[in-house]
Amino acid sequence: MRVEIMEDRLEQLRRWRAEALAGGGPERVAQQHAKGKLTARERLDLLLDKGSFREIDPFVTTRVTDFGLAERRYLGDGVVTGWGTIDGRLVYVYAQDFTVLGGSLGEGHARKIVKILDMALKNGTPVIGLNDSGGARIQEGVLSLGGYADIFLRNVMLSGVVPQISAILGPCAGGAVYSPALTDFIFMVRGTSYMFITGPDVVKAVTHEEVTFEQLGGADVHTTISGVAHFAADTEADLFFMIRKLLSYLPSNNMEDPPYVPNGDDPLRMEERLNTIVPDDPARPYDIKEVIRLIVDNGDFFEVQPDYAPNIVIGFARLGGHSVGIVANQPAVLAGVLDIKASEKAARFVRFCDAFNIPIITFEDVPGFMPGVAQEHGGIIKAGAKLLYAYAEATVPKITVITRKAYGGAYCVMNSRHLRADLVLAWPTAELAVMGPEGAVNIIFRREIAEAPDPEARRAALVAEYRAKFANPYVAASYGFVDDVIEPKETRPRLINALEMLANKRDQNPPKKHGNIPL
Amino acid sequence: MFRKILIANRGEIAVRVIRACRELGIRTVVVFSEVDRNALHVRYADEAYPIGPAPARESYLRIDKIIDVARRAGADAIHPGYGFLAERPDFAEACEEAGITFIGPPPRAIGAMGDKATARRMAKALGVPIVPGTDGGLSNEDLMRAAQIIGFPVLIKASAGGGGKGMRIVRSPEEMPDALAAARREAMAAFGDDDVYLEKLVEGARHVEVQILADQHGNVIHLGERECSIQRRHQKLIEESPSPIVDEEMRARMGEVAVRIAQAIGYVNAGTVEFLVDKDRNFYFIEMNTRLQVEHPVTEMVTGVDIVKEQIRIARGRKLRYRQEEIRQTGWAIECRITAEDPFNNFMPSTGRIVTLAEPTGPGVRVDSGVYEGCEITPYYDSLIAKVITWGETRGEAILRMRRALEEFRIIGIQTSIPFHQAILNSTRFLAGHFDTKFVEERFAMDEETPPELEEVAAIIAALVAHRRGQAATYVARRPARPLSQWKWFGRYEQLGRGG
Repeated sequence: MRVEIMEDRLEQLRRWRAEALAGGGPERVAQQHAKGKLTARERLDLLLDKGSFREIDPFVTTRVTDFGLAERRYLGDGVVTGWGTIDGRLVYVYAQDFTVLGGSLGEGHARKIVKILDMALKNGTPVIGLNDSGGARIQEGVLSLGGYADIFLRNVMLSGVVPQISAILGPCAGGAVYSPALTDFIFMVRGTSYMFITGPDVVKAVTHEEVTFEQLGGADVHTTISGVAHFAADTEADLFFMIRKLLSYLPSNNMEDPPYVPNGDDPLRMEERLNTIVPDDPARPYDIKEVIRLIVDNGDFFEVQPDYAPNIVIGFARLGGHSVGIVANQPAVLAGVLDIKASEKAARFVRFCDAFNIPIITFEDVPGFMPGVAQEHGGIIKAGAKLLYAYAEATVPKITVITRKAYGGAYCVMNSRHLRADLVLAWPTAELAVMGPEGAVNIIFRREIAEAPDPEARRAALVAEYRAKFANPYVAASYGFVDDVIEPKETRPRLINALEMLANKRDQNPPKKHGNIPL
Repeated sequence: MFRKILIANRGEIAVRVIRACRELGIRTVVVFSEVDRNALHVRYADEAYPIGPAPARESYLRIDKIIDVARRAGADAIHPGYGFLAERPDFAEACEEAGITFIGPPPRAIGAMGDKATARRMAKALGVPIVPGTDGGLSNEDLMRAAQIIGFPVLIKASAGGGGKGMRIVRSPEEMPDALAAARREAMAAFGDDDVYLEKLVEGARHVEVQILADQHGNVIHLGERECSIQRRHQKLIEESPSPIVDEEMRARMGEVAVRIAQAIGYVNAGTVEFLVDKDRNFYFIEMNTRLQVEHPVTEMVTGVDIVKEQIRIARGRKLRYRQEEIRQTGWAIECRITAEDPFNNFMPSTGRIVTLAEPTGPGVRVDSGVYEGCEITPYYDSLIAKVITWGETRGEAILRMRRALEEFRIIGIQTSIPFHQAILNSTRFLAGHFDTKFVEERFAMDEETPPELEEVAAIIAALVAHRRGQAATYVARRPARPLSQWKWFGRYEQLGRGG
């Protein structure tokens, strides 16, 4: 080819590339910045290792020409797609570009996302979606709806195969919310991101409730009240760092182990502090997160949904450089009781860890399930069963440390030996029983107490007797329900040793199409 | 030949002696203090024995423990290196009594020369020129009177030692009492003997020394001179051989004097006769070091004689392998003593872990090192960590090679004297060979400013490091910690096939 002709063609390519890079143009970009938001490409720069992003489909445009779309064609069709690396590991990404037609989802836009999801599935690689879209592109009609559904199907197909992470960086409304909702983790930014099925206007029209965007579906709402989202960040930069950090705990797909991160913390480190952390009085609270930090590598605990159902604590950490998922009752909140929200929060987390080969460590101090009309009518039976189901079906290494109370049905649910826990360790402060001493005595000795000359003294004596007999780990240990009773300070070395012991664990569930978890 | 030699020392000199033993096919034993458990000499020797806590007086100076180790290990000879016990007649005697060969001069020669005042008396008797001064063993009052007679400035020196320890320059009678007290204190701490004597301070003097070798059969030769005038507080920093001011005729005369002294006291093994040379190139005997010198490699480089191996052969009773007329100096050699000291902060000792170490190599470069990457520099001993020696056909080539070698030297984790050496090697007076023992202290200043372009480079590197750190949320190991288990993999594969 003659140089001049080639030059022309290269010139055209460069011009179009520049056009694609410009997104919705400088004015729209300025508007985006004015709202405290970044553009799609700026976001990818922050999220990925510097210079690792490779874009595809920059020349995709919509085929629809109705309602003025013919004059408003944008290269890339409002979404930037491609791949890059995070900490050197491959990820697929898509970022909706609000500066192009409000980031609205049309047919071309949807096809680009679908392509990325398909590639992620073929290559066994996590996919991260950055959502900032006004919703369906109404001019494209049902093509747009079809596009959503095509994405949803992929999200479901990918679920449990590769980690899927969603960041909500602007509006995400209507049908659009279901794609993030199907993924494993949702990140939101305070003040600039919203998720809802119907917006404040519709809400007002239908239910006459007056509500702002933030109150209806802001980051705080979804990370504290609804539990839809898992992480809230103050800035987009914080949010991207949190995604990078989360990803470091996860394998790239369900066949691989999580990455190994040597971190220099001594595997044999003992913590004297743990020996005295549980108060003498079983009714007194203590912070289970402190226990977790004392045990895990470098005290680094990456908590998931810290503000939702705080009576149970979930999150990721490392032991001996290997990722673990941690589920822990929090005695400092509602005595660590299991209620509907806590059960569902933990159940989903356990299933995620099981799907991605992340061993589960359970710290148990649970007085039981939450009583009350609201709880019963809200279906705590179903919620508790979800957690039970999740633990029972999980085949990853499962280790339980009982720090104090393990009462009643909650004992069974919280990764007991009977649900295929691989190792159950108890601290000497553990109490494994059907219920607390007071409750037990009131039932067993109801008549005896009532007929005693001094019922209160009799009750106290019986409580003391019961406590001495059953409120300890040794009865359960004598049946083999507890594998060993350990000094609290040696918990870290014991857990690391156990994980090493279980490194090659394999276990099977019977063949089935899929189970029927009580949803 | 000996079967096994114990080296009663540490650091680079212990390694140097071990190397000689290796070449001679002799097994080696070393001793180490608690903090030296991982030191290079311990790693390098065939056997190593702990002899006590970090302070030298409780370990490397414990004659009883060292003799005991020699017995237990079955060593038939002991090499003392330099410093520590090298010039202690009682150590040589203790070796003799234990039936172990001491690789060095006989105790009486150490005694004769170790007491510098005696040495001076003897030199005087031999008609060797000496700097005016006093004998040892005098009281403070007598020394004060003597100083008045000799005339200030005078030099106080420890009778028992060298290396600048216990040495003081006194310019006026008022300074005398304090200086004497300080000198005696230092001498006591360093050599266990607080005796001192006086010498007239020769201004503008150079320090030139002659290496001699003497066997047990009465043969004595010299290996030419070493120029050691680049000193700081009486610590030699840079040495070279030959000396820029010594010519063939002067070399012959100095050598003859050195040999005569050695013969007069029945000296055996390697030794060094030190001279002061004044502005008119007159030389005066100062003292004789009855041991291997730190700077012996420069002589080895120009003469081709392996002095340590000769020491061992001599101690075994062999005759010298060289006649005087066979000794020829070829080319020029320079040595820089690399110490763990901060030249930008008044040579404060620098301790810590050497995290990165790349020693120079290439044509004409020799490194006698006592450290390795990852080793710990403790505050307990001499701060010398390595010696860089370069050889060239001419002095100019040797200097250029030294500059190149010091540029190659990468040592991170501690401060070292390398920048100081580089500054000296760039100074015109050093290049011209015009310097005396006061050059470094009085007429040399280090450029303390970092060149701006280097600062720019440092800033860019710091920014890049910070950037990289901010980039990675986590350092993910590239290789899994555990090997792939077929057992687990197949189980996982099967489980996935079943759905769930």
